[in-house]
Amino acid sequence: MEKTYLGEFEELVLTMVGILREEAYGNAIVNEIRDRMEREVNLSAVHVTLYRLEDKGYVKSSMGGATATRGGRRKRIFTITNAGLSMLHAIQEKRMELWKLLPQLKFADL
Amino acid sequence: MKTSVQPPKWAIDFLEWFCPDRLVECVLGDLLEQFDDELELYGERKARRRFVWNVVRFFRPGIILRNKFKLKIINTIMLLSYFKIAIRNIRKQKLYSFINAFGLSIGIAFCILIYLFIQDEQSFDQFHVNKDRIFRVEEKSYDRWSEDKAYPYRHSAYLQTGLMQVLKDDLPEVQMGTRYNSGGRGVFRHGEKVFTEKLTYVDADFFKMFSFPLLQGDAEKVFKDKYEAVITPTIAEKYFGDEDPIGKTVEIDVNGTVTYTVTGVIQEAPANSSFSFDVLIPQENRMFYDRNINRWGSYSTPTFVQLVEGADMQQFSANLDKVIEKYIAEDLEEWRENSNLPDDVKLLELQYSNLSDIHLNTKVSWQKTSDPQYSLILGGIAILILIIACINYISLALTTSTARRTEVGIRKAAGAKKGQLIYQFGFESIVLALISMIIGLGLVVVFLPSFNEFTNKSITLGGANISGLLAVSFVVTLLIGLLAGSYPAFFLSSFRPVQVLKGGFTSKLNAVFTKPLVVLQFALSAFLIISSVIMYRQMQYITAKDLGYNKDQVLAIPTQTGYSKEGNKMVERFRNYAAAEPSVISVTGTNTSFNQGWSRSGYEIDGEQKQAYVYVADPYYVPTLELTLVEGRNFDPNLASDSSALIVNEALVRDMGWENPLQEHLNWREDSTGLGPKIIGVVKDYHFLSLENEIEPMLMSMNTKDAGFQTTMLVKIDHGNIPESIDKVRSLWNELAPDKPFDYTFIDEDVAKQYASYKRWMNIMGLSTAFAILISCLGLFGLAGINAVNRTKEIGIRKVLGAELMSIFVLLNKQYVWLALIAFTLAAPLSWYVMDQWLADFKFSIAMGWELFAVSMVAGLLVALTTVSYHAIKTALANPAETLKYE
Repeated sequence: MEKTYLGEFEELVLTMVGILREEAYGNAIVNEIRDRMEREVNLSAVHVTLYRLEDKGYVKSSMGGATATRGGRRKRIFTITNAGLSMLHAIQEKRMELWKLLPQLKFADL
Repeated sequence: MKTSVQPPKWAIDFLEWFCPDRLVECVLGDLLEQFDDELELYGERKARRRFVWNVVRFFRPGIILRNKFKLKIINTIMLLSYFKIAIRNIRKQKLYSFINAFGLSIGIAFCILIYLFIQDEQSFDQFHVNKDRIFRVEEKSYDRWSEDKAYPYRHSAYLQTGLMQVLKDDLPEVQMGTRYNSGGRGVFRHGEKVFTEKLTYVDADFFKMFSFPLLQGDAEKVFKDKYEAVITPTIAEKYFGDEDPIGKTVEIDVNGTVTYTVTGVIQEAPANSSFSFDVLIPQENRMFYDRNINRWGSYSTPTFVQLVEGADMQQFSANLDKVIEKYIAEDLEEWRENSNLPDDVKLLELQYSNLSDIHLNTKVSWQKTSDPQYSLILGGIAILILIIACINYISLALTTSTARRTEVGIRKAAGAKKGQLIYQFGFESIVLALISMIIGLGLVVVFLPSFNEFTNKSITLGGANISGLLAVSFVVTLLIGLLAGSYPAFFLSSFRPVQVLKGGFTSKLNAVFTKPLVVLQFALSAFLIISSVIMYRQMQYITAKDLGYNKDQVLAIPTQTGYSKEGNKMVERFRNYAAAEPSVISVTGTNTSFNQGWSRSGYEIDGEQKQAYVYVADPYYVPTLELTLVEGRNFDPNLASDSSALIVNEALVRDMGWENPLQEHLNWREDSTGLGPKIIGVVKDYHFLSLENEIEPMLMSMNTKDAGFQTTMLVKIDHGNIPESIDKVRSLWNELAPDKPFDYTFIDEDVAKQYASYKRWMNIMGLSTAFAILISCLGLFGLAGINAVNRTKEIGIRKVLGAELMSIFVLLNKQYVWLALIAFTLAAPLSWYVMDQWLADFKFSIAMGWELFAVSMVAGLLVALTTVSYHAIKTALANPAETLKYE
């Protein structure tokens, strides 16, 4: 199977899509990253990443209902696909395996 | 919270413009939501600013390319169709396609040639590895004879002979240094082979500083000895054939024969080098070297230094000032005192230019400098031709658009959007431009040799410039395609399908825009015509002008004796020898022949600074050149006192304000004991310098001590059989001086060479004019044809009603005459201005009378009328029965 790798930011955005579920749209992800990770990201970066993830098949999107707050414009809601979910799982597992191989050094020894 | 504050409208428009339709709604939604949040957080100003910034952040490949990708699919499908239609149209309208492609390809070819020219100019001296660290030291010195009183300074690269060693010893910044004197000549002899060769005097560091590869010999070792010579492969081949030149001895005679050993072979300098050399010998061998090396008042030697890496340039400048202070200041102050120079002017400053800047520096004279203006002028001409060609395209596309109208209607009816049609027509013009580009590249290959000749360059199409060249031609082509194609594309695509397809539309099209275009085109051509005519007349004037002496059948022969009284003896001997030879009419000796240099001397008379050109003469000088004596007499060989007498020209008499010159003395050597030499004759002013100069004061003297030695012999030969006479002179020379080469030039050719660069520019101008006229005439021919076809029926009816052939002819041509007249009115002042600038270079120039403009206008009008008449006559002669039978 062809391996696809995820960049660090892609992985973060993908995780956020999974966390936010029905509320996963561009701006919400920006806010979520700010709240949980204390990290300021630009909206455009999030959008570009979401579209790239969509191209890779890890998320899919649909238009939400009209809202009053955003000049009547609809949101594009992203949901994580099975492929996306298994990708996250795989990343997590690989990381744990590597973590276990790391000798349990104390900071002082370094 | 709902607020009435809105983000900037233009930012939203911008987003909607570049953002793909599929994404724009949610992106804008997110942005607006963020804007609302930030409005509460930061306030209106900052929120709006951040909104704009965020929109700009979306302008990134990740978003924009999503756009393009979708468009591309559509385009590639349609492009094929567009391409097919374009080719079909080009083939269908063969004449117009030819006119367009012809004009555009010439325009493109011109642009490419100009690009090559500019590139060549920029590449000068760029091949030296150390070019950033090599500088030419220059002087900026007070010039008390300067004509420009506001800036009485002279810039020159000629410095003291001893300066280079001082710079190397005293200045920590200077790593290496070399002097460089070219332009000397000497008799070069090896065995039986004797020729005059150019000599260049340099120092050992020359071979290490500059990147001229030594093919044989070691750059570290050559010129350790004073009697070494380094030669180019051409010279090696000329004297030694296939033999190894290293270690061979040669005799070089400049001012006495000296034997040198060849220790290196250096590759010839490329064409884009500020240096050129055949034979290099050490500086120490220069004439008067030992005398000059300690003379801080003698400026004769260009000096180049290579600085250490990372040298502090300010420190370098400061140190140069210190050098002046240490070695020259005393002399300068003495000069200031003796000549009563003002106290506040700086008499001498040492400056420097980087090696890369030497070529385009016109302030300091050097053997191969070039005025950056030339690039501008050539570029301007190329753009003029390109504009003329583009106008052809636009006006022809507009006037032939009738044929395309139905096509546009049907395409629109079938659902084509306006944008697609614009694409289509734009694509067509790009296809045509690409075809023209290929023809243009072919033209470049064909015309490059003549272009090189015209511009005095030797550009080749090598591997290095080929990629740049292709890139430039491609960019130019696309630009032409877009520029020429955009107006017709918008014009054609805006037809309303209902009107077009209903058929009620008349077949006549009123493209208002074409007339101003034709006027512009004609004005540009007229500008070129007038300029060429004026340039041509001026060159004619120069070649035909009576210069005040007879330059025909006079040979200038260097005496090959160095700067010594041997020269005078040589001339004397030759004259006696040739006395019995009927084909030699007279022989005279002088110091400099026409256009081979001059010597000028400054002197002070009654507290006034004067200058005169000094010519060494003998009693035969005046008759040989057929100068006219207006007063007094020629030198008399039998009068010993004449050896210290002077003959002056009328300009000098005027300059001195003499009433009775034959009673006067001119103390031009500033002799403190006597009155100076007596004036025995006054010659009528003649142009001993080029016509760029006024006739300046000039004097002739036979005195070798004051005026110098005779180094050139002028021989007037019989005009009967010139080659035979030259052979006679040669055999006389060979009998008299069998060991010296016989070099000669005709002085009329030397004189003509002064104007070589003007002639070159006239040729370039003439050629561009020819092309410009050709292109615009072709365009006019096409337009006239279309116009005639549009009016075929009208003409038919007129003829049926009894119109004369002549009146129809006039009817059809009247408008073109008007257009041409308007164009000339526009072009005349412009060309007057430009030509006025050009003529200002000459002190003797033609007057730009109205007749020159009239001639140009009549010529232009005739050409235009001839072009349009073909169609006018054809239409006027057509049988009305033929043209009207379908009605």
